Amino acid sequence: MDAGRIRHPVDFYLYQDKLPFLWCPGCGIGIVINSFVQAVDKKLPTRDHIAVASSGLSCAGKIPEVLTFLEIKITDDKLFRSAALYKRNNPEKKVVVFFSENDLLSSEGKDLLAVCEQKTNILAILINTFVYQIFIEHRKLVDVPFSASTSGNSDSPFNIPHLAASCGASYVARWTPLHCRRLKSSIQKALDKEGFSLIEVISPCLMYHASCGNLGKSLDRMGLFLKNTQILHNEPTENVDLRESPKIKVGNFIDR
Amino acid sequence: MKLHINIHKERCKGCGICVEVCQTGVLVLSEKKNERDCNIPEVVAMDECINCRMCEMFCPDFAIWVTEEEEEAA
Repeated sequence: MDAGRIRHPVDFYLYQDKLPFLWCPGCGIGIVINSFVQAVDKKLPTRDHIAVASSGLSCAGKIPEVLTFLEIKITDDKLFRSAALYKRNNPEKKVVVFFSENDLLSSEGKDLLAVCEQKTNILAILINTFVYQIFIEHRKLVDVPFSASTSGNSDSPFNIPHLAASCGASYVARWTPLHCRRLKSSIQKALDKEGFSLIEVISPCLMYHASCGNLGKSLDRMGLFLKNTQILHNEPTENVDLRESPKIKVGNFIDR
Repeated sequence: MKLHINIHKERCKGCGICVEVCQTGVLVLSEKKNERDCNIPEVVAMDECINCRMCEMFCPDFAIWVTEEEEEAA
């Protein structure tokens, strides 16, 4: 078959020289990009006014580089502040921020809370792989016990949906890449919302989890995620902590 | 309506997600390799395809997609 003759339906949103992507085979980030692009493709008024922002840190920070939307590249620890400033100066734009769990509280924590409380119209997509750390103090914020830290983690990880919901976010959801159709409809709903909306995507990391714990190869990892998730819509966010129950609770938690 | 599964061989990284999510067993990971030395998926039972487009939704590298082609009038 001549692949150049017939193009992929969403090739318009991707830089062709960046394909195939730089992420490992079996990583969940590609599926998140696929869901995001397919969600945006159907929403015509919003589609032309999207700006994507990231800090460039970690795997999740490279997502805007492959998308043809307007890209805002912001240095670390000024991500939400600059995105909110951009949104204030360009009210017609819809700002989508991609970030990883390291950005979340270690360097962006105070700005996240401020943006959340001011109800700035930003959609934040968090790719949570439980592994990213630069400094040793980053480890304590969001890691879970089976993550890549060699010495383990003594502190309880943050409950990220509860954090966003208690600060007044309009829309909070949590999915894994395996629920890509639900993730897609979740992104479509969140693009219509006024105010801050956060979608947490729990994604498998192949490189770091391979060395610790017998979690298997990439496809087994994905199957593990599908087997151990439980869909609970409108669950109170104080119950969705990752450490509370053996199952990962996913669903649309807050919609207001 | 005739379905056709397009596989972009240069983009494929051989992760095998499309083979895993296909419910009716249309795809199989073949022994054929592309220039990146990855095993690419192959269509073995095109009649089984039910146009659910799960492979298209799940592919991280946009390497597989389903198109519908109009059958020529007899």
